[in-house]
Amino acid sequence: MSGGPPVRAEASWPEPGDGAPPPVPGFVHSDFSPLVAAVAERCLSRAYGQRPAPDGGRTAVVLVTADGDRDSAAHVRRTVAAGGRPGPLFFFQSVPNSVAGHVAARWGLGGPVVCLAPTGDPRRDGAAEADLLLHDGDADAVLLVLIEQAPDDGGARDRARAVAVLLGGGDRP
Amino acid sequence: MAERGAVQLTGVHAISALGRGAEAQLAGVLAATPAFAPVGRFDTGPRRVDAAATLPDVGRLPDELAEAVEVACADAGLNAAGRAGAALLLAVHGGVGVPELATGLARRTGLGGGTRAYTTACVSATSAVAAGAALLARGDRDAVVVAAGYLVEPDQYALFDTGRALATDGAVRPFSAGRTGLLLGDGVAAVVLQRARSARDPVADLLGWGRTGDAFHPCQPEPSGRGLARAARAALDRAGLPPEAVGYVNANATGTAGSDASEAAALGAVFGAAGVPVSSTKAVHGHALEASGLLELVVTVQVLRHGKLPVNAGWRGPDPHCPVDVILDAPRPAATRYALTLNAAFGGANTALLVGAA
Repeated sequence: MSGGPPVRAEASWPEPGDGAPPPVPGFVHSDFSPLVAAVAERCLSRAYGQRPAPDGGRTAVVLVTADGDRDSAAHVRRTVAAGGRPGPLFFFQSVPNSVAGHVAARWGLGGPVVCLAPTGDPRRDGAAEADLLLHDGDADAVLLVLIEQAPDDGGARDRARAVAVLLGGGDRP
Repeated sequence: MAERGAVQLTGVHAISALGRGAEAQLAGVLAATPAFAPVGRFDTGPRRVDAAATLPDVGRLPDELAEAVEVACADAGLNAAGRAGAALLLAVHGGVGVPELATGLARRTGLGGGTRAYTTACVSATSAVAAGAALLARGDRDAVVVAAGYLVEPDQYALFDTGRALATDGAVRPFSAGRTGLLLGDGVAAVVLQRARSARDPVADLLGWGRTGDAFHPCQPEPSGRGLARAARAALDRAGLPPEAVGYVNANATGTAGSDASEAAALGAVFGAAGVPVSSTKAVHGHALEASGLLELVVTVQVLRHGKLPVNAGWRGPDPHCPVDVILDAPRPAATRYALTLNAAFGGANTALLVGAA
């Protein structure tokens, strides 16, 4: 990919001064989905100032995560193995689409929703998918979100980090 | 925009509770005998529902995926040199180990043209097919192999059960009055996509594809079906075909109240009063989640090749919220050579794939 689509806005979580991301109604137990929502909110706020995105009707959401929501998956696995019943919120929380759809609904992003597990560098893989979507014509902008939640080794805080990048759209060079 | 007929399906393979191979899928959907039975693979004692469509003696997912890729590549006549340049796009449930599963599958099957793993819930496989077609249309590759797999296992089963998504009467009744939900099913499939110039003996043309989002809710479909309708129109536009050219829709319909009604609204918006023959084969093979779209693409291709449209099993009677031309009682002859397969997922993700008989 030569050059790739233009970067319109970018954000990270945490940035200096950040604590835990704000909770998101309907998502429990894990900071995975709140972190996606927080970093997307920050990136889109930098691009647009306020919701909804006025030109978001064909903006895709591409969410890239190698391991997904580790904490929720581990909780479900333990609960099921013990013969228990997971809480009903884990039903939709078990796929990354749900928080991607939360962001899309909040900002009016009507392009494709795509979740990827990278097999190489996550940003490169995500940018390549975004570039393909833009070239192919199903989207004219892409909100790319990269998130990883480190294994829970029993003590570390801020185990998860995320980056969001708004690509394409706006005034093209 | 892709030129018409630029992408062809040259090899297909699938397994499900209907059996092993593409022909077994066709025979199963035309027989219309649901494959649901009590689950023997794991304990469902703590669950509300005890039914799924599972294939006896199924192997481990990595082994079944490798077998599917091998058979699809053999069907396509894709030799070692062709495989070395072919990309692998894998669709599976997300989680720890997925990147390694994808790269291991590529290595094991000799696919050396790059690997991506799609974890986009129930549109994972169809998103991968659309991406593969886009790669071919852009000229990035001459061949792309799309593989997808879901084998019924206890964690997702428990989640669908606790989410009250599973049918409580042991049957999946798409678009029907009295439907109570979906049931899960095994599905592993692989297809080979090739640029028309390099494809020697196509199984079908992949003429159009479309991907959209509802921008509505984390897990509920937008009731008017506008996102799914946009996906269907995008596929038609890409193919350069009017809606009346389509002779069959393999619907996403899961047997779930709101989702089926939303899809019916989308079909009404695209096809109008004239309608289009519709069935959801999830009523016989179940919902294979991340692999569902690829299994249903293989079914749709086989249906076109055979010229008979499968019935919508599980039907109990019309639902006024689902005014669609559901195929009932006996398979219908296909009136045209074009078919659409629709899929939708949490997050408001929608896909449409338009195929034509070769």
